[in-house]
Amino acid sequence: MSIPTSKTQPQTSDILLQANGIMKRYGGVIALNGIDLVQRRGEMLGMIGPNGSGKTTFVNVISGHTKANGGAIHFDGVPMVRRKPYQIAQSGLVRTYQAVRVFGELSARDNIATAQVDARTAMDAFGVAELAEWLRISYRFDARAGSLTLFEQRQLELLMRLVQKPKLIMLDEPVGGLSSTEVRAMIALLAELKTRCTLFIIEHTMKVIRELADKVVVLMAGAKMAEGPPADILADKRVIERYLGTANA
Amino acid sequence: MTISPDAARPGQTWSSAKLPLAVFACAAIALPLVLSGNRYLAFVAGVTMIHVLWANGMNLLYGYTGLMPLMFAGLAGISAYFVVDLTALGWSFWAALPVGVLAASIAGTILGLPSLRLKGFYFTLCSLVIQTVITLGFVYFSSLTNGDTGFSQIPLPSLPGGAPLSGTAYELVLSALAVVSVIVLMAIVRSAFGRRLISIREDDTLAETLGINVTWYKLLAFFVGSVFAGIGGALYAPYIGFISPRSFDVLISMNIWLMVAFGGRGTIWGPVVGALLLAPLSFLLQDYYMFKDVFYGLLIIAVIVLMPAGIAGGFHRGAARQ
Amino acid sequence: MPAGPRPAGILSAGILVLSNAHIILLLSTISTGLILGAIFALVAAGVTIVYGSIWMPNAANGQFFLLAALFGWTMTVSWGVHPAIAALLVIGLSVPLSYGLEYILVRRFYDVPNRNISYFVLSLGITQILTGIFASTYSRWSDQYQLPPLIKGVTFIGPFPIATNRLAVLAIAVVILAALFALLRFHKYGRALRAVFQNRDAAALRGVNVKAAYSLSFALGNAVIFAGGILFALAYSFDLSVAWTMSITAFAIMIIGGPGSVLGALVVGLVFGFTQAIVSNFASPTVAAFSYLGAMLLILLFKPSGLFAK
Repeated sequence: MSIPTSKTQPQTSDILLQANGIMKRYGGVIALNGIDLVQRRGEMLGMIGPNGSGKTTFVNVISGHTKANGGAIHFDGVPMVRRKPYQIAQSGLVRTYQAVRVFGELSARDNIATAQVDARTAMDAFGVAELAEWLRISYRFDARAGSLTLFEQRQLELLMRLVQKPKLIMLDEPVGGLSSTEVRAMIALLAELKTRCTLFIIEHTMKVIRELADKVVVLMAGAKMAEGPPADILADKRVIERYLGTANA
Repeated sequence: MTISPDAARPGQTWSSAKLPLAVFACAAIALPLVLSGNRYLAFVAGVTMIHVLWANGMNLLYGYTGLMPLMFAGLAGISAYFVVDLTALGWSFWAALPVGVLAASIAGTILGLPSLRLKGFYFTLCSLVIQTVITLGFVYFSSLTNGDTGFSQIPLPSLPGGAPLSGTAYELVLSALAVVSVIVLMAIVRSAFGRRLISIREDDTLAETLGINVTWYKLLAFFVGSVFAGIGGALYAPYIGFISPRSFDVLISMNIWLMVAFGGRGTIWGPVVGALLLAPLSFLLQDYYMFKDVFYGLLIIAVIVLMPAGIAGGFHRGAARQ
Repeated sequence: MPAGPRPAGILSAGILVLSNAHIILLLSTISTGLILGAIFALVAAGVTIVYGSIWMPNAANGQFFLLAALFGWTMTVSWGVHPAIAALLVIGLSVPLSYGLEYILVRRFYDVPNRNISYFVLSLGITQILTGIFASTYSRWSDQYQLPPLIKGVTFIGPFPIATNRLAVLAIAVVILAALFALLRFHKYGRALRAVFQNRDAAALRGVNVKAAYSLSFALGNAVIFAGGILFALAYSFDLSVAWTMSITAFAIMIIGGPGSVLGALVVGLVFGFTQAIVSNFASPTVAAFSYLGAMLLILLFKPSGLFAK
C-alpha cells in the first residue's frame, strides 16, 4: 500500500473524490492498473468501458468493499483507504449495485427505515415523505420490496440512499434492464437528482452519459484510456474503435 | 409449521403485545402454583421455562440475525460448570451466577467471530465443530468438570435468610425469567438494534453498504444470545441437580434450534410455543430415548421439508454459491 | 510379541541401530496408518462427491458407515454369511437405500438456492433418527462388535506379523479408491459428474442429464461410504461411537482437502490415517480429535476452499 505523498493531497476544497494510483490484483490478474481520478462537487462523472474493464471493481474499491493493493483515496479531503464500507457510507459516499439490491422480504417502508437507522444525518419524516413523493413511489410503501417492479426497486434504492443525505452517490448501471420508456424516466430523474447531489454513474447505455455527464472517464482493461467531456469522448476515434463500436448508444 | 408473523417489528408499538404478554405472564406464574401438588409435573414446567429462555436466545441469533449457532448448548454448559465449580469453592450461587453468565457471553462473543467471515452452511458447520470441541473439552478437562461422570447433588441456591431456593419457589423464579426473556426480546426487536439485526439477516452486505456496522452488531447479538444461554445454564444445574457433558451437547443445541424453527423463526411467540410444546416432550420421552431420537429426527426433517424455500428461504437471497 | 534380539537403540559408529521392537512398532504404525488412511479416504471421498455434485453436506455419513458395519455383522455373525459375500451385499444394499432416500427427501431441494444448509440440517435429522434406531437395537445387543475375517491367518513382513485379513482389507480399499479415481477421471459418467461439479448449467447445456447425474453421484458417494464401513468392520472391532467420530473426521477431511475434491479427500484422508496411527501410540484418541477439529477450524476460517481446491 503506497503512502500518499504531498503531491496527492487535494488542492482545492471543491474536489469531492480523489483517487490516485488505484491498483487491484486478483492473483496474477491486474484488475485495476493505477487509476487516477478526480471528481468535483456537483460534477457528474460517467465511467464507461467494456465488460471486465474494472468499472465495478473500481466502485468496490472506493466504497470499501474491496481492498486495493495500492493507491490513495480521498473523499472530501479525508483519506479513506483503511476504512470499512460502513464507515465510508457514513462519510457520505454511498453506492448502488449493478443488479438491483433491496431487502426483498421487507416492506419498502422498512427498507427506508433501515437506510435511516445508521445514516450519517437524520432526515425527518417530512423530508422522507417529500423525497418519496418526488420519486413517485410513496404509494408503494407498504408493499414487499421484492414484489415491486424493477423500476420501482431502482427508485426505492435511490430513496434509500437519499434519506442518508449523501455527498456522493455512485450508481452502477442504474438503467440496466429497464425498458426505453423507463430509461427516459430514469434519465429525467437523475437530471433532477444532479442538482441535489453529486453523482458518479457507470453505464453501458450511452444516452444516459450523453445527456447527463459533465465528464466521462473511459476504462479499458483496468487502465484509464481517456477522460473528457462527453461530446469529445463519444467522438474519440480510439474509444469508438475499441468500445463504442460494440456498445449500445 | 410456522405461525403467521406477529406484530413484533422494529418500530412497532407495544399495544399489540400487551395481551399475549399478559396471558403468557399469568400462565407462566400460575403454572407452578397450580402444579405445586405434583412435583413431577411442576418439575417439567420448570425445565420448560428454562427452555423458553433458551429458545428466545436462539431466536435472537437464528430468527432475527439469521445465524444458526449450534454451540448454544455448549455456552450454557460453560456457565453451568463455572457456577458449579465456584459454588463448590464456597461461593454463593448468586455471586457465581454473573460470573458464569459473563464467561458464557465472552466465550459466545469470541466464538461468534467466525460468523464475520463465514456464511450459511459454513458458519453452521463451524459452530458444530466448536460445539464438538466444547463437549470434548468438558470431557477432557475432568479436573474442572469431572469428565463424563459429571457433577451430581449440586446444591440449591440459598435465599436471603438461609433457606434453599427449591420447589415452587424455584419454578416461579424460572417462570419469571422466561417472561422477562420474552419482554427483552420484544424490546430488542422493536428497537433500532432489532432493525439492524434483521437487515443483517436479510442481506448483510447491503446492510454494511447502508452504513450499519455489521461486525459490531453481529458480535453484540452473540453477546446477548449467550447471556440467555448462560443464565439458563446457571439455573439449570442446581435445578436438575446433575450435569454432565451430555447435558450440553450438540443434540441439545439442535433441540433448541428445533423449538425456534418449528415454532416459527423470526416471530416472538413462535419459538415460545415451540419450547412450550417440545421441552416437556423431550423430558417426558427421556426414558424412551430411542423414540425420542427418532421422533426429533423426523421433526427436524419435517420442519426442513415444509419450510418455504428451505431454511435459508427469505434469508440471504442474494448469497452466491460458496 | 515374539522374543527376539534384546532391544537396543544404540549409536554405533554413528549409525542408529533399530531393534526389532522398534521395527515392529514402525511397521505396525505404518500398516495402521495405511488401512485407516484408506478407509478415511473412502468415506471422505464419498462425502465430497455428494457435496460437490448436489451440494449436500451429509452429516449422517458416520451413521451410514456404522450402518454398513452393523449390517455386515448381522449378516456374518447372525446369519453366517461369508464375509466377502456380506461385504458385497452390504455395498449393494446401499444403492436402493440411496435411491429411496433421494426420491423421498433429497430430490426436493435440487433447485433451492441455498440448499447446502437445508441438506446439512436434514442430514442432522437423519443422524438423530439413525442414532435412535441403533440405540434401541444394536446398542442393546452388544458393546463391541467384531466380524469374522475375510481370510484367516497371519502374514509376516520381516519381523512384523499382520493379520492377512487386514492386508486384504487394505488391498481392497486401495483397489476401490483407484477404481473411483479412474471412474471420475476417465470414464464418460465420471466426466459428466465432474462437469456437473464445476457448473451445473453449463453441463446441462452440453447435454448432460443433470438430475440423473445427481442421482448417480448420491448413490456412488453413499456406496463408497458403505464400502468404507464394511471394510473397517472387517479389519477392526468397533463400537457404536465410531459413527460420530467418523462423521467429524470425514467432514474435517472434506473441508481441509477441499469440498468436491476427491484428490483432496484421498491425500488428506491418508494424512489423517497416519496421524491417528502415530498419535495413538502416545496419547488418547481425544488428542487426535482435537487436532482434526482444530485443523478444520483453521481451514474454514482462512482457506475455505480447501487445500486442493480446483
